[in-house]
Amino acid sequence: MKLSQLSDKFSTYFEKGKPLHFLSSLYDAIDSFFLTPKTVTKSGSHVRDAVDMKRVMITVMIALLPALCFGIWNVGSQHYIALGESASFWKCVGYGLLKWLPMVVVTYVSGLTIEVIFAQRRGHQVAEGFFVTGFLIPMIMPPDVPLWMVAVATAFSVLFAKEVFGGTGYNFLNPALVARAFVFFAYPSVISGDAVWVSGAPDAVSGATPLALAASGATGQMPSFMEMFVGTVPGCIGETSKIAILIGALILLLTQVASWKIMLTAIFGGWAMAEILFHCGVTPFCGWQHIIMGGFLFGAVFMATDPVTAAHTSAGKYIFGLLVGILAIVIRVANHGYPEGMMLAILVMNVFAPLIDYCVVRVTVKKRKKRLMKNRINL
Amino acid sequence: MEYRIRKGLDLRLAGAPLPMVDALPPSECCYIRPTDYRWLTPKMLVQSGDSVQVGTPLFADKSDERIVVVSPVEGTVCEIIRGEKRVVECIILSVDRNQPTIRKVDFNPPTTPEALRNLLLQYGLWPSMRQRPFSIIARPEDHPKALFIPCFDSAPLAPSYKVLVNEHRDDLLAGLRALRLLVGDKVPIHLCMSHKEDNLFLESLHDVQLQYFTGPHPAGNLGPQIHRISPLDKGDIVWYIQPWNVAQIGRLLSKGELTFNRIFALTGPAIRHPHYYSTTLGMDVSRAFDHNLSEEHARIISGNVLTGADVGDYVTPRFYDAQLTLLPEGGEREILGWLRPNLHKWSFSHTFLAWLVKHHIFNFNTSQHGDQRNFVMTGLYDKVFPYQSILPLELLKACKTHNIELMEDLGIYEVDDEDFALCEVVCPSKMPCQEIIREGLREILNENR
Repeated sequence: MKLSQLSDKFSTYFEKGKPLHFLSSLYDAIDSFFLTPKTVTKSGSHVRDAVDMKRVMITVMIALLPALCFGIWNVGSQHYIALGESASFWKCVGYGLLKWLPMVVVTYVSGLTIEVIFAQRRGHQVAEGFFVTGFLIPMIMPPDVPLWMVAVATAFSVLFAKEVFGGTGYNFLNPALVARAFVFFAYPSVISGDAVWVSGAPDAVSGATPLALAASGATGQMPSFMEMFVGTVPGCIGETSKIAILIGALILLLTQVASWKIMLTAIFGGWAMAEILFHCGVTPFCGWQHIIMGGFLFGAVFMATDPVTAAHTSAGKYIFGLLVGILAIVIRVANHGYPEGMMLAILVMNVFAPLIDYCVVRVTVKKRKKRLMKNRINL
Repeated sequence: MEYRIRKGLDLRLAGAPLPMVDALPPSECCYIRPTDYRWLTPKMLVQSGDSVQVGTPLFADKSDERIVVVSPVEGTVCEIIRGEKRVVECIILSVDRNQPTIRKVDFNPPTTPEALRNLLLQYGLWPSMRQRPFSIIARPEDHPKALFIPCFDSAPLAPSYKVLVNEHRDDLLAGLRALRLLVGDKVPIHLCMSHKEDNLFLESLHDVQLQYFTGPHPAGNLGPQIHRISPLDKGDIVWYIQPWNVAQIGRLLSKGELTFNRIFALTGPAIRHPHYYSTTLGMDVSRAFDHNLSEEHARIISGNVLTGADVGDYVTPRFYDAQLTLLPEGGEREILGWLRPNLHKWSFSHTFLAWLVKHHIFNFNTSQHGDQRNFVMTGLYDKVFPYQSILPLELLKACKTHNIELMEDLGIYEVDDEDFALCEVVCPSKMPCQEIIREGLREILNENR
């Protein structure tokens, strides 16, 4: 029997009035995962683009893969370096997987359960947005964060950052960053300080990130910028390798899934702000050094470009990106207690994105009316 | 004037019509659908069994009973099909095939706009005059600020207007003179042309404005053309009429012949020999499909694949369409389709590798390729939306939230649902953009009435 025939047969059990109807959203999610939907157009445009949200989301996940793969290896590598042991490539990867896999399973189980319950209650299909969110959350957490915290943070972000507003497309805060912010403010000890960024590090060994070292003034102990660029430094799973992130950025830009306007203006904003502060003597690092440090690039490429929570208008995207970059560096430099500013910068700008859009809309309306007036005078 | 439309998209479908016209013999049935006329509520003037001739009023517009839709053929009213809430779906006429489809009529040649308007209303030619905003039949007492005659179509597999009106050049010129009388000397008549179509005979006209448009579809849509030439504000009205309807008016006035004969293009990937046919408005044209179908399960669309309507059981082009498109039905399921590289699937996005294959003609069908989601992607509509200083996503959201003030601010009066067809095509959330805009326009119209 063909898979599509099997699906048709099973789908009858989940129809309205049938005993398994309460699981129809879940069944539909699984069914449309394996087989493309058989929906045909009814009116309007009779032909449609082959792209759908699943394709968009899988493209983002593919773009995240280089950073993830490197991150998994790096977690193991940093662990064995801290222990003072030498380890083979596969041993590092194995250790990294042991850290990442449980985290990603917990994230997806916790998040998808809530998504499915809400979809079922609303009579909707399960939206694909969480595929990427669930993929991102483990990548921006310290490797040793307790799994129950990941579960609680994910549940909090899906519930209060997304579902209460109506689900994917209606949220105004990036859910993955909300999960991180939740852990950051609720359990600061597991996500800040020097001891959390290297998995299983003995107490005597400092696992401080380059940013933390810079913030504490211990610039002499910092790894080289080449190491930061390659990514062989302590940090979140996804953020360390700038090469891998740039490969991801290239995929996102080539497939046109992410907005180049936000990505480039964020990087430019960060660079320009860092240069200004560097020349004022506030920070010892110049523009490109700041870009390479910490999670700035990861945030600019994968988080700030979330189309739902960023500014929607074309002009708004430039302003949004620029301010994300500027704010991230300002928070990073001005607040020594909190060395990484990208998370807060993006969340703050998420809140301001509707305001930016509002301003752009009013300006466009004004421009249009001016054009109408000009035409009337010409007549 | 020359205008260049930069944003848009040409879909590459198989089945463009060859410039060859075949005459279709008259069929037994003729279908007249009140739904062809946007938001018209019909008041029936005939009932089953009544005899009709060319020009006999079948129904009137309830909001202005002077506007009537007439029978294009001689015969009898066979059946009046009603749908939900007793809405008239179709009037089926049984055609008397021995009678000609041209009727000679006598009248005093009109010398005033009022006399001409009454003549057009009387013989059922007024419904061919529509207005923007809203794309509804023009109100006879309105004073438009301009009259537009689109002389080309840029939609996928669109017919060549040259083929459609070529035989009626004299009638077209007579019709243009009549339109000048109708709107007066001060109202500009804009002929929207493309360099791709050889309409040289129109260029000799003096009291019309020739406007040339280049660029991808929707360069041929009236909305972006009006937007460039004479943008619409609240309260502004422009009229527009298709050139074959102008020729029809010209023929009535210059020769005293009332006829609804017209040419349409049979196009689409499911047609073996796409070309033109001459027939009469409303005639069942299914005979044109004999030995001409390359796909058994094809959707018959009146108009183009972007804005057309499924004709269902009534196989004839709609009143304002000069094209039938046959598109293979889709809906086949593919295992892990969202993951495959898929070189054979068309996508405007670059998430499929097919974007690397330039100038390839893809096998389109009616598959939606996904289910509807909320708005997620942004900036995508802007790439195919041809208006300057109108924000498509914001306008759609304003329509969805019924925010009339914002809709007006964002320029709802300038757009029509067809301008959002490409947004609908490229949308990964599968948002019914045209329907949203149509509902928004309807809300505005109801508010203004």
